[in-house]
Amino acid sequence: MWIFFVLPGTILLVLVLGFPAFQSILYSIYPEGGGSSYNLNNYSILFSDSVFRQVFGNTVLFVILSVASHLLLGLGVALVLNREIFAKPLFRLIALLPWVVPDVVVGIIWRWMFDPVYGAFNDLLIKAGLISTHVQWLSNPKLALPSVIFVNLWRGFPFVMLILLAGLQSIPSVLYEAAAIDGASWWQLFARITLPSLKKMLVVALALDIVWEVRRFGLIQAMTQGGPGNITEVLSTYIYKQYFQFFRFEYASAVAVVMTAALLMVSLPYIWMISQEE
Amino acid sequence: MSFEIQIKFEFQTERRRGKMKWFRISSYVVLGMVVLIGFSSFVNAQEKVTLRFSDWHLAEAPWDKTLAEAMALFEQRNPNIKIALEPVSYKDKETKYTVEIAAGKGPDIFHLHAFSLPMFFDKGYAKDLTPFIEKEGGAKFLEPWYPLCINMMKHKGKVHAMPGDYMSMVLIYNTELFKEAGLDPKKPPKTWEEFLEYNIKLTKPPERWGVAVLGAKDPGFELRFSPFLWSFGGDYLTPDNKKSALNTPEAKEAFKYFIELYTKYKVMPPGVPTMNAQDVRTQVAHRKIAWEIGSGWSAPIINSINPELKAFDVLAAAPLPSKKKKVTTIWLSSWVMNPNTKHPKEAWELLKFITSKEMELNWFVKNRVTSSRKDVSEKAPEILKDKFASVIASQLPYGKVVPQIPQWPEIMDAFTTAVQEAFTEMKTPEKALADAHERINGILARKK
Repeated sequence: MWIFFVLPGTILLVLVLGFPAFQSILYSIYPEGGGSSYNLNNYSILFSDSVFRQVFGNTVLFVILSVASHLLLGLGVALVLNREIFAKPLFRLIALLPWVVPDVVVGIIWRWMFDPVYGAFNDLLIKAGLISTHVQWLSNPKLALPSVIFVNLWRGFPFVMLILLAGLQSIPSVLYEAAAIDGASWWQLFARITLPSLKKMLVVALALDIVWEVRRFGLIQAMTQGGPGNITEVLSTYIYKQYFQFFRFEYASAVAVVMTAALLMVSLPYIWMISQEE
Repeated sequence: MSFEIQIKFEFQTERRRGKMKWFRISSYVVLGMVVLIGFSSFVNAQEKVTLRFSDWHLAEAPWDKTLAEAMALFEQRNPNIKIALEPVSYKDKETKYTVEIAAGKGPDIFHLHAFSLPMFFDKGYAKDLTPFIEKEGGAKFLEPWYPLCINMMKHKGKVHAMPGDYMSMVLIYNTELFKEAGLDPKKPPKTWEEFLEYNIKLTKPPERWGVAVLGAKDPGFELRFSPFLWSFGGDYLTPDNKKSALNTPEAKEAFKYFIELYTKYKVMPPGVPTMNAQDVRTQVAHRKIAWEIGSGWSAPIINSINPELKAFDVLAAAPLPSKKKKVTTIWLSSWVMNPNTKHPKEAWELLKFITSKEMELNWFVKNRVTSSRKDVSEKAPEILKDKFASVIASQLPYGKVVPQIPQWPEIMDAFTTAVQEAFTEMKTPEKALADAHERINGILARKK
């Protein structure tokens, strides 16, 4: 009888996820420009393409720096918001705000803020005495990717913060009280109680954030469209461009399959951890 | 006992009769309603056909109002057709239409710029209009349009789209800023050397710069950059469209000149490598730059961004400067019928309406775009007397179109990547152009 309970869900999953995934794999081995036999030519083109290699490298850099900064800031803010501070609910709400704004909207807003002629960001920094002249945040090849990562830090840290805050609240206060009686320092409390207790939450946040950052599209597309040159081009914007602007369905599918495979590999520790718990 | 049974029987019979009566009445009512609904649906199906009409202009002022009014007029004249308006952003239109058409759906009629057509033709995403045109009189029906425009609508010899706006790119400049810089607004530059001299005089950073040409990876880039390349005697591809022609001395000279306006002479404002067409128009609207390369759409849009500028009075148009050749880029838009349309007859009526002489003139009067119809662009007094349209129409004979091949968007992406790399000094202009040349040859070789 159990099969009747899982059948509707399974059919839905196959239709919504399985069919497009299968179609993409099929497309990826279909010869570009038509042909009769399936082959791996699209994959061979992909791995010999210098732009793809650059895009892959950009994606790795973007994801590592974004996730690392999310974890650091998310943990820091979660620690602060877990303490008894003035107007705690209000600060928790404010900290969550960047996360609820859609990606594309964040991209457009920051693109305007970074504008070298009209942008508020330069004015703010000049008034604060941090810079003396207007900086081209998105047109400068050395600053474009860090600028996008900075905006992504602002936009994405609340998600990590939320998970870690939930983890912090589940740590029994008696542990801290006992350690304090034994004369433990702030650092010892953090290193011996907080971090070990947050281990599972950190893995969950890390795995989910990696998956989301690899798929990050709207923010980068709205801010730089992958430019200048290919400095901020990542896999998701590259696939979009190949599929919808160049109509290279087969090649775009091959890139998408590689991206999915890479994502599955980084998700395995998370899946393993969940299955161990069960 | 038998009397009681008799009474009970009669009572039950009466109840049954009553039930039957109600059942009969209810049946008649239900039947009547079914017939009524069926008839009304039939009448509706016969009388009202809904056509989905999509255009990026629907998301732009002042075009949105003009189109809504025109569609209301069409509905009034064709009471059996209802138009559902579907705005789309200029940048995302190809994405939206591709996805929807591939899924067997999509708007019945949609608007594209002509350089997207080869990709849509290649994928079978545009309906063959030949049968409709034949019914209207064939070649005679197409006579009012410029032959170049009709040729660009053809795929394998058959017309698969109808031409829309047809304009040349010109200089749009602020006459007041010219006067402030000591330049005569009646004497715009004729050569690219003069253009540089004017820009140097107009540039007073951080208040003002001379010109801005969009550097973002945007479909509008090629409209603005191509006249530089072509007038220096260069080109993107060889005449057979098989190889890149960016390694010629003329192409190298044009590319270097264009890049140095930003890197060496600094007559363009900061941020040009990421600017799109709207960013540039915003700078014109707020007097941050003195001119741009634009066309009929420029003044209305600039006016809508900053009405205080009084764009129609302050701005003027002039032919683009030249070097070896007098040449400009042609802007041509097109109207496409979705091959998935369930109402081809009605969709054709709409296509005929939006490309009619009456509507083409209407688009000009309301939005200053000139037409691909000779009987409008060459004859309408409204166009011939207009200070912008007269210049735009005068440059049509010098117009040139970018190569109409499916690989074009990818080639342009490789080229704009090179422009951004040179603008931001990641590479020298020579190196950036040489890399683009190699990449474009790779693209063309792969698709052979």
